Amino acid sequence: MTTLSRDQVREMMGEVLAAQGKELPANDDAQLSEIGFRSLDFSELALRVEDELDTELNFDAPGLRSIETVGDVLTFIDQLQQAS
Amino acid sequence: MPAGAANRIVTSRYDGPWSGLALEDWPAASAYLVDSHLDAARAVWAHATQPERETLVASAGRVDAEQAEQFRADGLALVRADGITPATTERPADAGRIWLLTSGSTGRPKQVAHTLESLTTISSPQPPRMWLCPYATGAYAWWQVVTMSLQLPGQDVLFVEPGELDSWPERALAAGVTAASGTPTFWRQALFRSGDVLAQIPFEQVTLGGEPVDQGVLDQLREAFPQARISWIYASSEAGAAIAVHDGRAGFPANWLDRHTAGRPVLSVVDGELVIRSDKAARGMDGDIRTGDRAEIVDDRVLITGRIASDEINVGGSKASASKVRAVLLAHPAVAWASVKGRRAPLVGNVVAAEVVLAPGATATDAELQAWCAERLPDYSVPRRIRVRDEIPMKETLKSDV
Repeated sequence: MTTLSRDQVREMMGEVLAAQGKELPANDDAQLSEIGFRSLDFSELALRVEDELDTELNFDAPGLRSIETVGDVLTFIDQLQQAS
Repeated sequence: MPAGAANRIVTSRYDGPWSGLALEDWPAASAYLVDSHLDAARAVWAHATQPERETLVASAGRVDAEQAEQFRADGLALVRADGITPATTERPADAGRIWLLTSGSTGRPKQVAHTLESLTTISSPQPPRMWLCPYATGAYAWWQVVTMSLQLPGQDVLFVEPGELDSWPERALAAGVTAASGTPTFWRQALFRSGDVLAQIPFEQVTLGGEPVDQGVLDQLREAFPQARISWIYASSEAGAAIAVHDGRAGFPANWLDRHTAGRPVLSVVDGELVIRSDKAARGMDGDIRTGDRAEIVDDRVLITGRIASDEINVGGSKASASKVRAVLLAHPAVAWASVKGRRAPLVGNVVAAEVVLAPGATATDAELQAWCAERLPDYSVPRRIRVRDEIPMKETLKSDV
């Protein structure tokens, strides 16, 4: 299956925030709570990835984790892609 | 002889009065599985002029082999274009009985028992009109147009086959149509596709039904047809025709609720659901009929906004209403049609997703539409994915499952 690179997903994440007038910092360590990236935004990002790949991601596959930073989001999306 | 025997009916293969239709020697209890409105009209005329008959009319494509066998086992012969298959159970016909197949949103269509009388809801004299009937043969709305034409002099009908739906405005213009009944999806699609031809049709009566009717489509029709009476009708094969509104506004007056008037159905809202008690209901539906339709009282109106079962989208524990989101999208000047559904997503379970069709010549990006929604809806109700389609989708029922 084709997968999206971390940079491509980062760009999409920027688009989700831009639609709300927010900016995505360049730093992967930036806290989601500080930049205002919420659960719904994360869900939207996952669906954007699905639409781009034209496939369904297996949301149940990766185990429980803590997603607190921009880097955590990118890693989680990467794992979703690998598991599907 | 029915009072409308001389009314003109027009199909792709026939142009003449009801009384000119050729009948054959069909079994008294028959299920007509038809490929055309002409064959359906012949079945109706036979039923209307031969009181001993028991009749079911349905598009052949709607009935699978197993259901057709069940009809035979229930005592109905199958009448198709290529011949008659006798019933496998012999019994006398239930004189006057008409069977309708409901639209069957879940699984196989079920049969609902009516008579010509219970299907006839317009009985007062009407101005002479040529009606357009775009409905699928045998549907409740189809019977409404058919029974009106059978019973009321001056009510002619142009039937449009499913394959001709794309070009109906041209046919209607050529045939002299002055009245038409269709779903909001049907009207939206026509305005979207053929607004210029449509505007030339001298409509005196425009009727909507079969789906929730919103103010947006009523306003568009009012603008396109300033002279026409614009009505919306709430009807179902189970409850019969229960509500008719002619003031150009969505919903019906709240003071109609719980009102007891002879010959009129009693309307109530129970736990947000429209409940109807009607003497035009199908057999076996004599008590309160819970319609499954969401009813909301806003100021002096009762708005029917969607199906209860399919309206709610659970977004991380918050309940988004698909019909409310849809109403907000439809209020955007660039949006001609919208459909809103839940879409499975991580973390929150579902998010709101939408499909839209833009008005001809209009432009709007998904980000602009999201921003429009964000100004008017709670966060969890804002569509997170918006897909722009080229065309308004429509099923054989003239609905689009919005």
